Amino acid sequence: MEEKVPLQYATAKAFILTSGFWMMIATFYGLLGATELMAPDLTANMGPIVFGRVRPTHINLVLFGFVTPGLLGAAFYYIPRLLGAPLYSERLGVFTAAAWNLFLAALVITLALGMTQGREYAEMIWPIDVAVVVAFFLVFFNFIMTVRQRTESVLYVSVWYVLAACILTACTYALGNVIWRPDGGALTGMPDAILLWFYGHNVFGLLLTPLSAGVAYYVIPRATRNPLYSHTLSLLGFWSLIVVYTHIGTHHLLQVPVPTWLKVVAIVDSVAMVIPVMAFLINIWYTAKGKLGEIHADIGAKFVFTGTIMYFFVSIQGSFMALPDVQRVTHFNNWVVAHAHIGVLGFAGMIALGGLYYTIPKLTGRPLFSRFLADFQYWMVLIGMVGFTIVLTIAGLIQGNAWLNGETVYRVLPEIHVYYVTRAGLGLLIFSSAVLGFYNIVRSMWSGNGAIP
Amino acid sequence: MKMTPLAVVVGSLLILATIVFVVVVLPYVHTYQTAPSDIFRLRTDAEAAGRKLYIANGCVYCHSQSIRSIDWGLGAERIAQAGDYIQDYPILLGSQRTGPDLSQAGGEHPDDWQIAHFMNPRYTRPLSLMPPFAFLGDARLGLLTRYVQSLGLKDADHRMARQNDWKKKAIDAYEAGPDANVAWLNAHIPHGWRDIVNPYPTTEAGLARGHKIYQDFCLGCHGPVGDGMGPAQPWIYPPPLNFTILKNREISGGILYYQIMNGITGTAMPYFKRELESEKIWDVGNYVAVYFINDSDANGEPRGIDAAYEMGYP
Repeated sequence: MEEKVPLQYATAKAFILTSGFWMMIATFYGLLGATELMAPDLTANMGPIVFGRVRPTHINLVLFGFVTPGLLGAAFYYIPRLLGAPLYSERLGVFTAAAWNLFLAALVITLALGMTQGREYAEMIWPIDVAVVVAFFLVFFNFIMTVRQRTESVLYVSVWYVLAACILTACTYALGNVIWRPDGGALTGMPDAILLWFYGHNVFGLLLTPLSAGVAYYVIPRATRNPLYSHTLSLLGFWSLIVVYTHIGTHHLLQVPVPTWLKVVAIVDSVAMVIPVMAFLINIWYTAKGKLGEIHADIGAKFVFTGTIMYFFVSIQGSFMALPDVQRVTHFNNWVVAHAHIGVLGFAGMIALGGLYYTIPKLTGRPLFSRFLADFQYWMVLIGMVGFTIVLTIAGLIQGNAWLNGETVYRVLPEIHVYYVTRAGLGLLIFSSAVLGFYNIVRSMWSGNGAIP
Repeated sequence: MKMTPLAVVVGSLLILATIVFVVVVLPYVHTYQTAPSDIFRLRTDAEAAGRKLYIANGCVYCHSQSIRSIDWGLGAERIAQAGDYIQDYPILLGSQRTGPDLSQAGGEHPDDWQIAHFMNPRYTRPLSLMPPFAFLGDARLGLLTRYVQSLGLKDADHRMARQNDWKKKAIDAYEAGPDANVAWLNAHIPHGWRDIVNPYPTTEAGLARGHKIYQDFCLGCHGPVGDGMGPAQPWIYPPPLNFTILKNREISGGILYYQIMNGITGTAMPYFKRELESEKIWDVGNYVAVYFINDSDANGEPRGIDAAYEMGYP
């Protein structure tokens, strides 16, 4: 038993609550946007929730409100455990979490008011940009100071990923948001597109993916009680991720007049993504070999392991989508939306949920309030996310092939309407799962001693 | 390899710096001095203000401004060049086409169509899923319209000049009364087209197809009973044509076909040559002729099988 210290794991708890709360808001915005595509006059002339303001709110809240805090919440638990030292400062950690919630609230309000820099994943206005960068630096500072006080001399792979994710994201966020130009936060002309997609892709490559890998590398060996399969693969996966992932942003611009050599770099490295992806997955899957029963028995590990399977699908799909012949069909339509949902909900989101469900019992010293609700949420998210992928991929194929065949955008709208309706239904499923999840998280944190299995 | 904190942090930062040099700095050096393209011009103040509204309302999430070599639709006559974008801060290429690409939207429609469409897109485009923007108010919708009408820059200016020129003539004709208006409209149709009768017979199936097409494309302006009183009518001048006054005015199937295919520049009537194939245009033209004009030249001799018009068959 650990001794009861004031503020113990307060930062982890704060980030987990942040994640659970903003998952509800983020998925509500997703549901709202999906509903507007299905029935555009339902919210007619409600300016603050017009689709063009709802969509960036949904995306930024999912990235920075639900997934990142969830993954960080788990990290604030496992980093001290792996280093054999308490977190450098729980006060600083709780302050960071509070500031994090403030900038999320500011994000929702400013976007609703139409205050945006108009660049995907980089919409937030300058003061919020500064707050985000400072928050990432504070998280990094807290972790690196904990590293300095460690009693365990060897740094485990999860620690590498978390340190790199925080410091690299602080840098690429500042660069990608052109933080030295507070008025518009952009460059001018084609260089702006190149910089934006360098940054935009690194939100996944240098933030969500390494933080998710950190959680998987912690949870899977712990839950299975197996040693990690290969140190060499950990090294290969870590360094190749940073080298390869950072090169591929321009695959968003293959059909745009940017320098051809840059497109070639992006395509070649997109295919080379197989290396970091498979190094990580082989390592995790071989670690879990023969122990799927243990994974099934632990709801946290179940979420995480499912996330790694989704990582396989989304990454292989991503490599193919970078091929120009494939992109002729898939670009500009709902295929890409499906891809994004496998990645951010199926992979990073699943692992964030797994990380927090694995961590909560360790933080409270009690089992989850309800294992059943967590399991129920697992199936709701899984069905919702797979359903999304199916209907949006079909819609995307209809759109992409119709356009290639000379149909106008307008002519294709009736053909995809039924998929929009289905997607909104699945969105309701995912939003409901977030509400159940938040209830479960809150009750698990504060249910006194009368825990229900 | 021993992973010390220094190796992890400094190592990954060094890699990042190197890659930023390769994929951000080098391309910047390569592209920041791009020369203006042949259509480039600076935006006016009103257009720049409209662009801010375009950004604030997230138009970029549904409308790309990036015409590719594989595109067929609106604006596909001109494939995007880097020199088109050199004043764009930020650049608004977009990543989705929930709606059409707007690179060359300027001058495709006159201003009154744009305003009616912003009030509620379904007023002019019944199947649209774009939100209504009436909440922006007249002043801001005016600015947004200036921006949309500038898309395509010099090409857009050329189209707008034609719209504005024809608009004056269309208003004069409308205000001179129905006889003069119809005469003016018919006078702009090439002679060969005016003499063509609808070569296909009136059939129940053809009228049903025409009805469906009318609802999906025409109803917003011309109204459900063809009297020109669709929901877009209050914003459009000259107002949408009232088909019910056209009886005995020598409206041939060919005239209807040509107007639907080609549109009437200067009025809110767009061309439908990209959206409707030949049979659909004959069908909707005949639907209008049968139900609203009550005077169709279809069903005449010679008659063909459904699929073909056979001149001179006994």
